[in-house]
Amino acid sequence: MYKLILAMRYLLKRRITYFAVLAVALCVFIVVIVMTVMTGLVRDFKQKNHDFAGDCIVGSESLVGFAYYEDFVKELEQNQFIEGVSEVIKSYALLSPQGRDVSRGVEIIGIDPVRHSRATGFGRTLYYRKNNVEKAFAPSYDPNLLGCVLGIDLALDRHADSGYSYYDSPVRLGLAITCFPLTARGALAGAATAPVNTKTFYYSDHSHSGLARVDDSVVYLPFDQAQALCGMAGATKRINAIHVKFKGGVELQAGCDRIRRLWQEFKADKSGESQAYLLDTVTVQSWKVYRRTLIAAMEKEQTMMGVMFGFVGIVTVFIVLVVFYMLISHKSKDIGVLRSIGASKVDIIELFAGFAFMVGGLGALVGVLGGWQFLLKINKIEDWLFENFGYQVWDRTMFAIGDIPNEVSPKVLAAIVVAAIAACLIGALVPSWQAIRLKPTETLQVNQL
Amino acid sequence: MLKLFLWLRYLRKRKIVFLSIAAVALSVSLLIVVASLFTGFIHSYEHIAVEFVGDVVLQPPRKFVRYPHFIERLEKLDAVDAAAATLTGHGVLYIGKGNVRAVIIQGIDAVRTARVAGLKNSLLRQKDISGELSFAVPDKPDEIGGYVGIAAIKEPDEETDEYDFAEAEQMIGEQVVVTTGSVTEEQDTSADGVRTKFKRRTIKLTVTDVVFTGFYDLDKNCVFMPIEKLRETLYPNLEEPLAETIEIKLRPGADIESALAQIRGVWEGFVDDVLGGDPYLKSSATEIETAIEMQGRYIAEVRKQMGLLLLIFGVVSGSVVVLVFCIFYMIVTTKRKDVAIIKSCGTSSASVAWIFVGFGACVGIVGSGIGVVLGFVITKNINVIEGWIRVIFGLKLWKSSVYMFSKIPTEVNWFWAMPIVLSAIAAAAVGTLIPAIVAAITKPVEILRYE
Repeated sequence: MYKLILAMRYLLKRRITYFAVLAVALCVFIVVIVMTVMTGLVRDFKQKNHDFAGDCIVGSESLVGFAYYEDFVKELEQNQFIEGVSEVIKSYALLSPQGRDVSRGVEIIGIDPVRHSRATGFGRTLYYRKNNVEKAFAPSYDPNLLGCVLGIDLALDRHADSGYSYYDSPVRLGLAITCFPLTARGALAGAATAPVNTKTFYYSDHSHSGLARVDDSVVYLPFDQAQALCGMAGATKRINAIHVKFKGGVELQAGCDRIRRLWQEFKADKSGESQAYLLDTVTVQSWKVYRRTLIAAMEKEQTMMGVMFGFVGIVTVFIVLVVFYMLISHKSKDIGVLRSIGASKVDIIELFAGFAFMVGGLGALVGVLGGWQFLLKINKIEDWLFENFGYQVWDRTMFAIGDIPNEVSPKVLAAIVVAAIAACLIGALVPSWQAIRLKPTETLQVNQL
Repeated sequence: MLKLFLWLRYLRKRKIVFLSIAAVALSVSLLIVVASLFTGFIHSYEHIAVEFVGDVVLQPPRKFVRYPHFIERLEKLDAVDAAAATLTGHGVLYIGKGNVRAVIIQGIDAVRTARVAGLKNSLLRQKDISGELSFAVPDKPDEIGGYVGIAAIKEPDEETDEYDFAEAEQMIGEQVVVTTGSVTEEQDTSADGVRTKFKRRTIKLTVTDVVFTGFYDLDKNCVFMPIEKLRETLYPNLEEPLAETIEIKLRPGADIESALAQIRGVWEGFVDDVLGGDPYLKSSATEIETAIEMQGRYIAEVRKQMGLLLLIFGVVSGSVVVLVFCIFYMIVTTKRKDVAIIKSCGTSSASVAWIFVGFGACVGIVGSGIGVVLGFVITKNINVIEGWIRVIFGLKLWKSSVYMFSKIPTEVNWFWAMPIVLSAIAAAAVGTLIPAIVAAITKPVEILRYE
């Protein structure tokens, strides 16, 4: 009990400890804000990638794709743990709006919109056909035309507030899509005559995935049309990937492992087929592995930021060390009295460790509360800065970021609080060690009193 | 002399002062590294822009013909060293079995472009060969030569982020197919008037060189070919030279503003004399700006991020003030007798205060000096450090596909280092203010009393 009383007394009576609390609070305040924003950005980015890809992807990186997919899709659909399966064509194409002397290279994704929406979050990214996904490729101005869904940044201009100017219905716009049809051996299908296939599609909707590289470069086409354009609709049809969604409760890795086993069995069954060699290029990946290059970059930035704050946090450890050093040098008589009435060395260490814990805990509490309050208002503050000074943390016309993420993660908070208390305990370590080495006979000598 | 003696004594006897030196050094080095990395990135970005398109770019709202006349007039200006035309088109590139990429096709005059921009330095084969840059395919005069970006041929290694240059060079001499297109106007017989139609064009190119600029987007997306061949392909009915932009290299020391005004004057004269005085082409829709201005928006955004990060780390580093305060307060309270003796010998309160403020400033100078050295060493060796982290922890922190450049910039920013160092010294001095005042108001008669 006396340890608690003394620790409280030191905390309240010794004003120098307020500086230690202040330093901890300042550090925690900044770290809470930065790490919450960064964690929010990473979490949102991961979620968008998850929505874009589904849970598991069976696919080949080669644009040639792989054959016999129909049988494997049937097999997948018979499994109870699978919620949705979507066959996908992927390739590069030249997009040319009708009547304009411009064209640009884009990525085309051929899908069945209903099946793809069951396997991924595609349906939720649509604007006009959000509640009528089966008509995603039917332009509302003429449902008989062949439609295509454009990445939103291909269709609309992004404003400074990260919004877009939407119309009541899509504008009638014809887009010629040209791509290379490839044979099963990877060669150009019509090299001698016409090496490219072209078809005109009409803008029927746009997809806002929130992923800049997708929204700026992807055009979704009807599955069979994309398959024909890419030369994959021959006698033995081919695709590039199968996107799979698991039922709720299925653990990601376990689900992927089951699909991997199914694929190995399927591949063995098809080993005698003429295009079986294409199956060797196919991998089974979870969405996290499939999008790893992009996700890993953001996670690494978050880690780097944490490491840099760790370095800066060393100053806080120094402050605590100095404050404790001062305190102990002033309270040597207290320590002498305690030791003389029977307090052990461990008791003395516990006393100062408890005090360090209080300093760290109080500093962290103040910092967390301050940071939390700031985060609650961070978007309002940014709006005010933008309205009055034209300042934005991120220029929304350049970065696909909406509001600044401000949802405080309990895990992040816990990690920061634990780190702050640990920093205080480390800072108190050397002074505490010095305290236990003080001898009562020396500190309580008459000439020292 | 007394001050120096006391400073050295406190430094020797009070080891805790080294903590404040370490804290200052740590904060200064971190801020210098952050500022240097950001500004290095900005400079690299500006450099690659100039290296790739020259000093100034003239970009009319639409393509224009007879550009050689314009270039001829431009090169008569004192401020202009050389100029070259470009014609650009988007397309898709078929490199080999199953390997298709979206690319930007740049039609250039190789010889002229080499005078304006540093393209030659980025070519794997021709950079070490003296003589003019060329698209010519050896022994095959009928074939069209082209340069392909190294990342379009093959992405860098997933783990090391290094390109396989040997494999890339094997592509030299191989044939690739580019598909692009243009809009042509046709007489519509069913309706009165003219109808526009997009025509696909495919071009077979023989790779005569591979482009490696170190800037990922260029290395991945660009295909270069002769401007006249691209014009013939895209606009076969047009018999005059056609350009989309003019890239201009200024003479060393040329005044930018004056040069821009002169170039606009020449442009307006050219439009009047050769292009029929089209007011749209003469208007401000024709952009004439420096390569650096063209990247202005993005660079401003990067600068903003740098400012924000420096502010965040600067605020946290502000704890140094608290640390210095605590240390000096402790020194003052434990050395009150020293202070009292000095004062009893006739030293003024201001001089006593200066002992501690000066000592604080010295701590700041020594700490920031160490911080500068540390920041310099880290920045200069950042690629080596990144390599160690990859080898030891298996963590590849820098990837060209994410951060654009193949290497982390290693240029130390002394412009930013100076205010950081001054702030650190000021912070250390500020931290000593209250302890210095406490020392200054110490009364010798109270401290030196016998009881």
